[in-house]
Amino acid sequence: MRLELKNIDKSFGEKQVLKGISFAAEGGKAFGLLGRNGAGKTTTIRILMNVFPANGGEILLDGEKIDYAKVGFGYLPEERGMYPKKLIIDQLTYFAELKGMSHRSAVKSVDYWLDRLDMGEHRNKRLDTLSKGNQQKIQLITALAHDPDIVILDEPFSGLDPVNAMLLKDVVKEQIAKGKIVLFSSHQMSYIEEFCDSIAIINAGRVVLSGDLHDVKRNYPRNKLIVSSVCPEKIRADFGSSCAVSDNKDLIIRLSRPDDKQSIMKRLVENYDIDEIRVFEPSLNDIFIEYAEEQA
Amino acid sequence: MNQFGKILKFELSGYLKNKVFVGVTVFLVIAITIAMFIPNISAMFKSDEEAVPDVLPGMLVYADDPELSSMVGQYFGEAFPDYAIMLADGSLEDVKAKVVSGDVQCAFVMDSLDSYTYYVNNLSMYDANMHTANSVLQEVYRVTAMVQGGMSPEQAEKILSAQIQCNAVTLGKDQMQNFFYTYIMIFALYMVILLYGQMVATNVAVEKSSRAMEVLITSANPTSMMFGKVIASCLAGLMQLIAVFGTALVFYNVNKSAWGDNIIIDSIFNIPVSLFAYMLLFFILGFLIYAFLYGAIGSTASKLEDINTSVLPITFLFIIAFIVVMASMGSGNIDNTIMKVCSFIPFTSPMAMFTRICMSTVPWYEILISVAILIGSTIGVGFIAAKIYRVGVLLYGTSPKLGNIIKSVWKS
Repeated sequence: MRLELKNIDKSFGEKQVLKGISFAAEGGKAFGLLGRNGAGKTTTIRILMNVFPANGGEILLDGEKIDYAKVGFGYLPEERGMYPKKLIIDQLTYFAELKGMSHRSAVKSVDYWLDRLDMGEHRNKRLDTLSKGNQQKIQLITALAHDPDIVILDEPFSGLDPVNAMLLKDVVKEQIAKGKIVLFSSHQMSYIEEFCDSIAIINAGRVVLSGDLHDVKRNYPRNKLIVSSVCPEKIRADFGSSCAVSDNKDLIIRLSRPDDKQSIMKRLVENYDIDEIRVFEPSLNDIFIEYAEEQA
Repeated sequence: MNQFGKILKFELSGYLKNKVFVGVTVFLVIAITIAMFIPNISAMFKSDEEAVPDVLPGMLVYADDPELSSMVGQYFGEAFPDYAIMLADGSLEDVKAKVVSGDVQCAFVMDSLDSYTYYVNNLSMYDANMHTANSVLQEVYRVTAMVQGGMSPEQAEKILSAQIQCNAVTLGKDQMQNFFYTYIMIFALYMVILLYGQMVATNVAVEKSSRAMEVLITSANPTSMMFGKVIASCLAGLMQLIAVFGTALVFYNVNKSAWGDNIIIDSIFNIPVSLFAYMLLFFILGFLIYAFLYGAIGSTASKLEDINTSVLPITFLFIIAFIVVMASMGSGNIDNTIMKVCSFIPFTSPMAMFTRICMSTVPWYEILISVAILIGSTIGVGFIAAKIYRVGVLLYGTSPKLGNIIKSVWKS
């Protein structure tokens, strides 16, 4: 399965919210959709789920125009909420039935998921009697109970304690293993790095960076060395403005040309008392800040 | 269609599980049951009262001329069986004092046979004593005059008590008879639409403010959502009415003998089948068209508190229609121009056309046109409401302006 968005445009009134959004996500892999608040992630997701039409562009599944009658979507919205005053089993079954399940299979599936997420004992309670984290687990069931082909999770980990986060991680891995397309949107970069093979960073309605996460990282210029030494002052004095101090007191030496790496390393090892030298590998967080801030 | 059925079922069960809804229905059923037993209950108390005869209130008759006073006393004795008639002696002041102290309830002070002053401590709104006294005195005066003119008292009596034979044959509609169920239907429609309309609007706004909408809008078609919700509320309303009026009908039949020949109650329960069918038709269509509007308004409100002000325009529209119909019913001139116009406008026709059908003779083609317009506009309003809903539910923050909504609905 391969989901492609091509040149999606969307305007609300005079305001153009999306300007040619394109990215592709594969089945059996997780895709990270990143961007700052208001960048256009939720609008992209809503267009993908056919809540409203795009002004331009197309959405393809396996190369053909997506047929919403055949493709099942599961969605955990960032704005959580269900019916606070209704019984959990009633509303979960209702949502699953709305997605096309029969009553019987909906009840069966919901019961499976309630047990899977350790929520079986709350089956016949009202939603508003549950804690926030547990309500979130209940909401996750609305996204998964009908066994959708495409699962969209918007900030799935926010508000979960470490034990529940672990449980959710297992569930997400399970969904990926089943060959589904899992679309992640989150500001917690560590989770994106843990799950996602590909990402797209949206900034002000445009995709500013997209592709395989490893490639993205590898393509990031390898022009910084991290140096740990017992005599940082000496090195700083010798290297001048190309040397900075990182948050954890390590030195960061910026190379004017990446090819100088070998010679600079040699010079450091020969002249100073060095504990460790390594090439700086950016985290997704670093990349995100750089790309999301740049054009803002 | 499948989705619509599921939404309908979910929404309807929502009403039926709602404690307030069930509570109100049970209360109404009990109230109407008690009301239907009223004649039996009051008969029970009445028989007790008759077993212990009361002391009759006193009525004084006073005149300077003792002959006049005894003659009037005699006539009043027959005319006022609920009073103990006493002839007063003493002065006018004594008579007044007795009235004020409560020894007697009232006093007639006669100047002559055709002139008197009535004394009473507090004049009740329903005091008919003067009216009775006038007719008695008038008759006495006339008989006396006729006898003086040479007739025998029997002849004079006969002339004065002559009865006119009359019969009314209604070729069209009997407004008097149809008035009551028209009134009840209009009032029921008024109550139910205001109540349920508000419920539909609140229902939509709750989904929006609790953000359940985020999941719903990605799971179900907005048109199915809107129609499912509104038709569910209509069914819930009908069920409530059937429960209340069904109970009334059952217990009316149980107590039929006790109700006797009460014209009002009789006319309500003997509504002709054709009128009942019209009532149902106009009720359902009228309910739906307003419920769609309320649903659409509910979807544009961001907070529950906004609902009350947002629905005001619809409520006003509806109240105006109600007042026009009620005023026309009261005036007796049902087929006036305003009513004729109103009976073709979709938002007023459920009440106006039904009233005209009940209380006057409306040509069949007018009914057909009115119903056709109403059905067409109800469906149209339903689809527009669904579009507003689709746009409205995703707008948070400040309530959107009407113009903006129309613009985005037009575009989508």
